[in-house]
Parts: sequence; structure tokens; C-alpha cells
Amino acid sequence: MVRYLIRRIAISIVLLIAVSMLIFVVLRALPGSPVTARLGTSQGVTQEMINRLTKSAGLDRPLASQYLTWISGILHGNLGTSYFTGQPVSSLIGAAIGPTLELTIISVALSVVIAVPAAIASARRPGGWLDGIITAVSSAGMAFPPFVAGIVLIIIFSVQVHLLPARGYVPFLTNPVQNLRDMILPAISLAVGAAPLVLRYLRNELVTSLDSNYTRTAAGKGASEARVLLRHALPNATLPSLTMIGLITGYTLGGSVIVEYAFGFSGLGALSIQSAFNRDYAILQSVVLLISTLFILVSLAVDLMSWRLDPRTRGRHG
Amino acid sequence: MAEAVIAATPVRDPRRARLGIPPVSALLLLLIVVLCVCAPLVASAGPDQIDPTHPFAAATGQHWLGTDEVGRDLLSRLLYGGRLSLMVCAGSVALAFVLGTVWGVAAADRGGWVDEILMRGADIAMAIPQILFALVCVAAFGASLLSLTLITGILLTPSSARMARSVTIQETGLDYYSAGIAYGAGKIRLLSTEVLPNIFPALASQAAINAASAIILEASLSFVGLGVQPPQTSWGVLLQQGYGYLYNDPSYALAPAIMILLTILCLNLVANRLSSPGARRAARRAARGGRTVRK
Repeated sequence: MVRYLIRRIAISIVLLIAVSMLIFVVLRALPGSPVTARLGTSQGVTQEMINRLTKSAGLDRPLASQYLTWISGILHGNLGTSYFTGQPVSSLIGAAIGPTLELTIISVALSVVIAVPAAIASARRPGGWLDGIITAVSSAGMAFPPFVAGIVLIIIFSVQVHLLPARGYVPFLTNPVQNLRDMILPAISLAVGAAPLVLRYLRNELVTSLDSNYTRTAAGKGASEARVLLRHALPNATLPSLTMIGLITGYTLGGSVIVEYAFGFSGLGALSIQSAFNRDYAILQSVVLLISTLFILVSLAVDLMSWRLDPRTRGRHG
Repeated sequence: MAEAVIAATPVRDPRRARLGIPPVSALLLLLIVVLCVCAPLVASAGPDQIDPTHPFAAATGQHWLGTDEVGRDLLSRLLYGGRLSLMVCAGSVALAFVLGTVWGVAAADRGGWVDEILMRGADIAMAIPQILFALVCVAAFGASLLSLTLITGILLTPSSARMARSVTIQETGLDYYSAGIAYGAGKIRLLSTEVLPNIFPALASQAAINAASAIILEASLSFVGLGVQPPQTSWGVLLQQGYGYLYNDPSYALAPAIMILLTILCLNLVANRLSSPGARRAARRAARGGRTVRK
């Protein structure tokens, strides 16, 4: 048990280090620093100014040394400063992480809340009319890129009927009601694509469970249909579906980048788009690494949880 | 894979299948592509032809979808925009197909530490959410049409590689492959003339999924202004422009949104079909020269 734990955690750490290197190297793959990219075209910029900025951002040092500075900074909680505004990156991220985390958690929860009852309804009569409708709707949902779903929702709920706000974010503590109202449309936009992923997987697991001997035994011993479905089949089908939670968290974290932009949230996604625009690598590399870290951690947590809860997964991993 | 067996595949009309009529999704996809490619023949006005006297005109016989903020015909912009979106999509999918197949087949064939390194490489690249990786690449390499295609293609490569590896391993475990090796056939030849046709449906299915991702990536990047740059037009650019006028004319943003949705929906359905067991059997039959093997 301890061996599996250590191995799984070690893999995640190695993955994290590799991801950080990849981000770092790609951002610096082309010659030409962000300083020249930013100032090169404007008038009246002297070479001396460029040199000063380059030096203050540490861009004149060798790559490996820049990388080590970045990583050791992260370990000490210091992410450096923006190349252009000079603001500390950690405070920028600190201000932006709230909306993103809230949106991600709400969307994932919403996806599960939609997917579980739909999967149960669908699995009761595989091939029946309800199953057909749910399958068709989920196929359509999967075709929605989250931000496109967001635009469509804005058109329906903000432009046509003035029901919900199209833009903006108010912190929960400032105004809880307004905060939740702001969250509804973006969360639905993300759930439209994420819920079908869970739904399909859970449905197939449920169909398999309902087709196996132990559920037949339970039914034969006189358990009601609801009891067979909810008490016997569902727990066994839920555990493998846990992995899907990890997957849709990744989907949601990625999707929220553009959704935040569409809904005018000042979250991590909006911050990463802004810094990609400005070629502000100091911010971009840390934000992307942070979101990737969240994704890797969630996958790790889900893996460990299903390993703990589901004896069937232990055979394979030792 | 158990999933494929019990997936809710809609009942298909056997008559259609026997007559060889392609599925509706494929036909619709073809229609979208043909309309966009033949945009100059279909569209009533050029995509950049402005008419400042008629901004936000409603749909008329001349402008089927109305006009935009400077009186350009929306339908023709939609079709011309589709050309760029589909071009980026086709280029990147082709790139991912070639690179991914070589990557995956090499990993499957070599095995051992080569396999380990190649596949861990794919894991690393896939641990970063696609859109964020795309932002990093655009920040580093700029947002020209060429770089956009290359970036998207490279982003899609690891998933192609994974698919190619897993199906190649399945195939090379079969008797015909060992028999070929025993006869002294060259590995490259065996892989390219025997294995490749058999794994093609799986690779094509992955390519269709990749095409959907490519459409999403292009639209996302262009929507936030980091993809196709106006005055060039793509579906993402149209979304961005329509998004600015949501309250003046909701249909402006809705039109590209619907095109994107339809294209992705069709691609997903085509991918499902290609990965179904029936499609794989059909491909095997075709690879054997159309002979049907009955058991």
C-alpha cells in the first residue's frame, strides 16, 4: 500500500517538474526577448532602456539559471514580478484564483448533479426512448465548446429575456446573491460539455452492473427495482466513474479560460490571456503551471481515492 | 474496449448501410466543407464589400443572414470565414495524423525504454490543458495563420500518438504479424502495408476527434484575439466581432456559433461511427481486397 502511494505521488512530482520545464522552454524557444517584442516597435526607445529592462527582468542570464530562479522562487512562495507593470505575480494570481476555483467547483458539481440522475434514468431501459433522448441530448451537449455555449446562453438569458447578468464577478463575501447570479451562466456553459462525459461513462458502467449476476441475484431475492438500481448497481458503477471527475475537472479548468473572458471574470483564465497578449512570460508561465498543477493534483486525488475505495483497482497497480 | 460494445449507438438502418449511403453526419459535414470552399460561387457579395448605409440589416433576399456593423454580408463572411477555420483544421489534423502515427507506431514497435520515453512525453504534453498550452505557444511564436496551424497540429499530436500506439500494439500481437515476421518480411513493409490499413479506421476516428478540437482551438484563440487576425476572417473572428454587438444584433454571433456547433457535432458523430466495431470490420474487408470472410 505504502509502495503504491509513494510511487503514484512520485510520478505526479516528476510530471510536474517536466511540465514546468516544458512551459519554460516553449516560452523561450524563439530568440528575441519579450522586452524587445514589447518595446521594439515603439518610438524613442533606446538600446540602453531595453538593456535595463532585460537586466531587471533577469532575461540576460542563461536559461538554466533563469529556470532555477523561477522554480526556487515558487518553492519560497515568490513568483517574481510582472515584466511590464512590476506587480508581484503572486498577488496577481492571489486576486485571480478565487473566481476560477469557485467557477470550477460549481461547474463540476453541477455536471455531476445533472449527470447522475440522467445516467440512472438512461440505464433503466437501455435502448428505450428515454435512453435515446438522453443520448441524443448529451451528444449535442458534447458539441458545445464551453465559450460558445456561454455566448448562446448570454443571447438567451441576458439579451432576449433580461434575467441574468452577462458580465461581471462580485466576490462571494461582498454580495453572495449577486455572486451566485453571476456564476449561473458560466457554470452552465461549462457543464453543458462536461456533464455528458460523466453521463456516458456512468451509464455504461450502470448497464454493465445491471447485467451482471449479483444484481440478478438481488432482484431474484425480491429487492425492488429501485433498490437494485440504487443500492446494488449504483455504488459499483460510481467508483470507476470517479476517474471521470478528474477528467472533467481538467476539461473545466481548460474551458474556463475562455469562458472567463466571455463573461468578464477576472480569474486565472483572463489573467493568462492578458499575459499571453502582453508576452508577459513571468505571469503566463506561473499561471499555466498553477492550473496544470491543479489538474495533476485532482487526478492524483481521484486516483488515490478510487484506489482506496475500490478493491478492483488494486490488483493492477499493486 | 467494453465501452464500445455497450455504448448507446443509435439503431442504424440496415438498408441504408447496404446501399452504401453515407450517414447524415458525413453528408452534412461534406455540405459545410463544399459551401465554404465554393464560397465565391455561393455568396452574393464579397466578404469585405462594405455598405455603410445598411449596418445590421435584417435578413433579406439579397443578404440571407443580414449584414454586420459596416454592412458586410454576413452569410458570405460566414462562408469565407469557414474557409480559414477549415484550412487551419485540415492542416493541423494532417500534421497531427502524420506525426502522431509515426510517434505512436515507433513507440509500439520499439517497445522498452523508447516506448517509455515517447509515451511519457505524450503524458507530459497532455498534462497541460490544451487551451493554456496553446496560449503559451501563441505567446512564444506569434499568431500568424501558419503558426496557428502548426501549433494546433503539434498540440493534437500526442493524442494521435497514443491512439496509434495502442492499436498498433493490438495488431502486432496478432498471428498475421508474427507470420509476416517469420516469413522474413521487413518491419517497415509489414507495418506500412499490412498494419497501417488495419489501424486506419481508429486513426481516422482520432483524426475526426482532433478536427473537432482544432475547430474549438482556432475559435477560442481567435475569439480572444490571439488567433486569426482581422481583417482576415474565421469563425472565431466572427464570434469575437458578433460578441461585441450582442445587444444590437444577436444573430451576428449566433451564426458562427451554429456553424461551429454543427461542424463539431458532425465530426463527433463521424468519429463514433469510425470507431465502432462495424467500421473496423469493414476496413479489414476493404484491406483484404473486398473479400468477405465468413466464420
